[in-house]
Amino acid sequence: MYPRLNKSTRQISTGQIPEKELLSMENDLIYVYCIAGKPPSPDWEMDSKGLLSINCDGFYVIMKYVSGAEFSEENLKNNLADLQWLEKNAREHIVVINMIMEHGTVIPFNFGTIYQSEDNLKKFITTYSDSLNDHFIHISGMEEWSVKVYCDRKSLSKQIDELSPEAAALEMQIMASSPGKAFLLKRKKTELIENEMDRLIKNYGQEYYNDFKNLSEATSLNNLLPKEYTGREDTMILNAAFLVRKTNVPDFKNRVGFLRRKDGNSGFFIEATGPWPPYSFISIKENQ
Amino acid sequence: MHDNVIDRSKDITILEVLDRVLNKGVVITGDVVISVADVDLVYLGIKLMLSSVETMEQLKSGKYIASGT
Repeated sequence: MYPRLNKSTRQISTGQIPEKELLSMENDLIYVYCIAGKPPSPDWEMDSKGLLSINCDGFYVIMKYVSGAEFSEENLKNNLADLQWLEKNAREHIVVINMIMEHGTVIPFNFGTIYQSEDNLKKFITTYSDSLNDHFIHISGMEEWSVKVYCDRKSLSKQIDELSPEAAALEMQIMASSPGKAFLLKRKKTELIENEMDRLIKNYGQEYYNDFKNLSEATSLNNLLPKEYTGREDTMILNAAFLVRKTNVPDFKNRVGFLRRKDGNSGFFIEATGPWPPYSFISIKENQ
Repeated sequence: MHDNVIDRSKDITILEVLDRVLNKGVVITGDVVISVADVDLVYLGIKLMLSSVETMEQLKSGKYIASGT
């Protein structure tokens, strides 16, 4: 099963059921977005998106009735392979949770969590209510911020004499040498530059991480993504999420701005996004 | 004044979104199961999409065309 990428084949994935049948399928599956600790408000926002909130054990589950045409096990699997469908629905998932988050703390759910009945959903809530309570205490008043740092080695290598005393010393030596010796030293410098860049990238990555860690309550390191995934020319050197107390968010943002200005010319680029629902700081997982 | 350092929501890539909503947060089986294999396929799809975008850009910039003519 390969992902379907273009418009012309999109019909196949959602349209395996003839249109007539699609229309007659009822919205009888429950799609769960998140859990809020207090009633979501205002009502019109909920209504405009067809959202419902069920109160269970003092938690408010934000959900929506969806159709099996899109979300039955088989159809959901097919739809996941359709990037346009996935992008639309994954963004919608985040948009809804962000909307609820504006009015209070939320515990976000994985994309595509589907229940067949409210009873089954309530069973889950009851089983996990202690853990849910602990999480609410842990993340209350916090925001998740994502920081990805990239480095363009070409730009960094141009600044190497300023950033590496060793490279600078060798450059002085080259300038003071006879052409023959300078040629050999230049070859030595090429190798030195590569090693120094590796060292600098490691140091900068660690410094960025420490800087943002100092301004946050918890951190989560994610895998560095290769260029095939980022679609960028430069290399990802840090991929981390930070749980930041709301009152510290202005400082956090200022730090991003400061570091961007300080190191932009050396080839480093900081990409910060947020606030995200605290996805990286929820550890409620059932064995799949 | 430093607000512009934060990338606006419209600029947030689908990768960044999926990085969060797939396999993070409350991950429970529910009544319909998305398996890890399905998620892997999603990422394979993104990789293919990005590499095809790259190819298209190279085509547009004339890299391939130039070598072909």
